[in-house]
Amino acid sequence: MDKISALMDGELDAHQSEQQLARLKNDSEARACWEAFHLIGDALRGERIVSRNLSERLRERLAQEPTVLAPPRARPARPIATYAWSAAASLSAVALVGWVAFSGPLAPQPDAPSVAAKAPPVAPVPVVAAPPQLASVPSEGKMNEYLIAHQEFSPSTAIQGLAPYIRTVSGTQTGKGQE
Amino acid sequence: MVLPAVLLGLSVAAPAVAAEPAESQEGLVWLKKMASASRQLNYAGSFVYRSSRQAENSRIAHFVNPAGGEFERLETLDGPPREVIRTNDQVTCYLPASKTVIVEKRNPRRFPALLPEQLTGVSDSYNIRKEGMDRVADHECYIIVLEPKDNLRYGHNFCAEAGSGLPLRARSYNEKKEPLESFAFTQITIGGNFNREMVKSRYAAKSKDWKVDRSGLPVAETPADTGWVLVSRLPGFKKLTEFKRSIAGRATPVAHIVFSDGLAAVSVFIEPMPNGRATQTLSHQGAVNIYTRPVAEYMVTALGEAPAATVMQIANSLELKGATATAR
Repeated sequence: MDKISALMDGELDAHQSEQQLARLKNDSEARACWEAFHLIGDALRGERIVSRNLSERLRERLAQEPTVLAPPRARPARPIATYAWSAAASLSAVALVGWVAFSGPLAPQPDAPSVAAKAPPVAPVPVVAAPPQLASVPSEGKMNEYLIAHQEFSPSTAIQGLAPYIRTVSGTQTGKGQE
Repeated sequence: MVLPAVLLGLSVAAPAVAAEPAESQEGLVWLKKMASASRQLNYAGSFVYRSSRQAENSRIAHFVNPAGGEFERLETLDGPPREVIRTNDQVTCYLPASKTVIVEKRNPRRFPALLPEQLTGVSDSYNIRKEGMDRVADHECYIIVLEPKDNLRYGHNFCAEAGSGLPLRARSYNEKKEPLESFAFTQITIGGNFNREMVKSRYAAKSKDWKVDRSGLPVAETPADTGWVLVSRLPGFKKLTEFKRSIAGRATPVAHIVFSDGLAAVSVFIEPMPNGRATQTLSHQGAVNIYTRPVAEYMVTALGEAPAATVMQIANSLELKGATATAR
């Protein structure tokens, strides 16, 4: 996997890069590794969202440029721009796979939580372990209308009266302050 | 023939009660007492709200007019002023910093009217017990612990004033028993006569030229089939209500479905897909987790005082009835 790491860090020359990109396309283990490296990098930088946006942007570009998916194989002196495009295309294909793989567990997510749900006393672990796939960010008051609408039905609001509304007005102000 | 009928009536009513251990029964009684106390008592005081992000002091006053009417006023004491006024079933938020007024209608079918039928639900999902005494804001109170039986919900710990049952402190914990948020009175006066001044808005007069968001007010709160169903149910969570409503800031009616285990509630809102928001997001505000997810041409938002996994699972198992049929 050293090569993949080197590819990420831009340490490979054009030929080596192309080899590794081709490998990423065909080798699911290499792809998983690539994705994991990116997730680790993103997590370290606290940029979880960035990699998602990036893969989406690339996917859009890819959709507009269908031909670059199959660039001509052997062309000795390739202009640098073409090379870059092909690399971008390969990357976006990988990123797309990564994105699908990454968003996969989020969508139906039937396994871990429902197992716990069926046998709560025996399996107390998985429910919590499942969601951090998607990093939670402070809402900053963006959902206040929904929060207010929700609170009238929340039994804990019934027990505490108006006090839980403080969440909503706090969030509003924090949000305003940071915008 | 009267006696057997009475006995029969008793035996029908009894099981739900008899199934609970005495300890849990006492906890349930106190839970109910807390809910009615916070609605029926006159009280005024200051409390501190703590979440992972902040600690904030607020002042609250609740008065019931013997001639009819329930009034409540909440104002923040730190940072920019904000005020929430409740008059019976109408809630008005005054936000002077942005010169905004948000008017919302509350559901008149409120607790404790809703509570008895849900109490059994609470003990299905939580171990409830009354623990020793504590003192909050110079008042003796009983500690009521609600310990979740699985990790689909948070743990709660209340301290209910020994005489009246008014909750003086409420804390919630996540599955690792780490505190999520808490409300605790630092000073409180319980009782006294109805005092209209204490629950009057300080901003109502000044807010004439503020931006007023009333779109949440004309609520078409008639229970209706929204066409959305849960394909897999979450243990303990029952559908509380389902209807189409207007929401402040939304042009079209929004489907609103509420699921609850008797203590925690998760609301699901379904609206036509807004432009440029077609992503999954997970966010939180205090102990409330908020998850959005696009489903076909709709945006589904689920939020509630429950672990992120619970909120996400409810949103993820939601399907449009017709869609399910055609997909299979």
